[in-house]
Amino acid sequence: MSALAFYVYCIAESAATAELPPDSLPAAIEDDSKLEWISVNTLAALVSRVPRESYSEETLAEHLTDATWTAIRAMRHETVVEYVAKRTSVVPLRFGTIYLEREGMQQMLVGRSRELEDIIDHLRGREEWGVNVYCDRAVLLSSITSVSPVLRDLVQRAEQASPGQSYLMLKKIETLKVDEARTAVNRIVEQIEEKLKVQTDDARRLRILKVETTEHGELKAKFAFLVKRSAFEEFRDAAERLAQEHQAAGVRLELTGPWPVYNFVSM
Amino acid sequence: MSDFDQVIEEWEGTDLSLLETLDHVLNRGLVIAGEITISVADIDLIFVGLNVLVSSVETAHEVLKNRHPE
Repeated sequence: MSALAFYVYCIAESAATAELPPDSLPAAIEDDSKLEWISVNTLAALVSRVPRESYSEETLAEHLTDATWTAIRAMRHETVVEYVAKRTSVVPLRFGTIYLEREGMQQMLVGRSRELEDIIDHLRGREEWGVNVYCDRAVLLSSITSVSPVLRDLVQRAEQASPGQSYLMLKKIETLKVDEARTAVNRIVEQIEEKLKVQTDDARRLRILKVETTEHGELKAKFAFLVKRSAFEEFRDAAERLAQEHQAAGVRLELTGPWPVYNFVSM
Repeated sequence: MSDFDQVIEEWEGTDLSLLETLDHVLNRGLVIAGEITISVADIDLIFVGLNVLVSSVETAHEVLKNRHPE
């Protein structure tokens, strides 16, 4: 049998692991390998063994450029972490944290125990929810006149102006529409962030990875919110109210989750 | 089974959005110093390939769904 290394998924409290025996957990990222808890004092890391030859520095970098290889393993990582996070407070680790020896990982658990315990405590009973804000440009542009006071005023004046003046004003209106639309989207996004923040314990604005155009329009903003389980109903209601409020402007809200608290675990 | 088919199969077993999942797992989560960890620079590179894969998986998923309407 070839040499093995330890792949780490997440960290939980040792006390919680009794309820989560490895046999009850989803599949590990590599076939022919099982999940196991490695416990040191109050903390336990959920790990599985991976062949060192596939997860050494060089080969891992090479594998990662193979999108199918990475996608399969990233999905398995998520399935495992999600399963555990639904049942107990965990610190989710980013994909690809590997220890060559059991001792290295045990030392980490000891060395960082204070920080890890603080995170677990802070996250107890909380989940991460994602909010994606989309905007349908065509709908926004057609509704922008009613949203923007400047434009409304200009349209009224153009209607009363002479044909020559009116023509020039209409041209100006078209250019202004585009600017105003951009301002309106930014304003709406800020408003959504403000209002949802009130309902939650923490918020992050996330980077948009690619310009995504879906049936809901173009992705304009992405947020992650830390929400108490007991406060989820209110959070969802607030999101629904915002969605209704901004629907006429072509704005759509998409709620994703609950996620393990990936965005709220920095040390 | 090809790797591509495997991605589709594993994805169908979950109700996760593929791109959202990859984004969470690869870009976020606690980074602790393992003996081997992926660098941030690598992640940007990985995502270029993943975006292409996600598009083709989603397309294949649509085709399959249309072939076997529920």
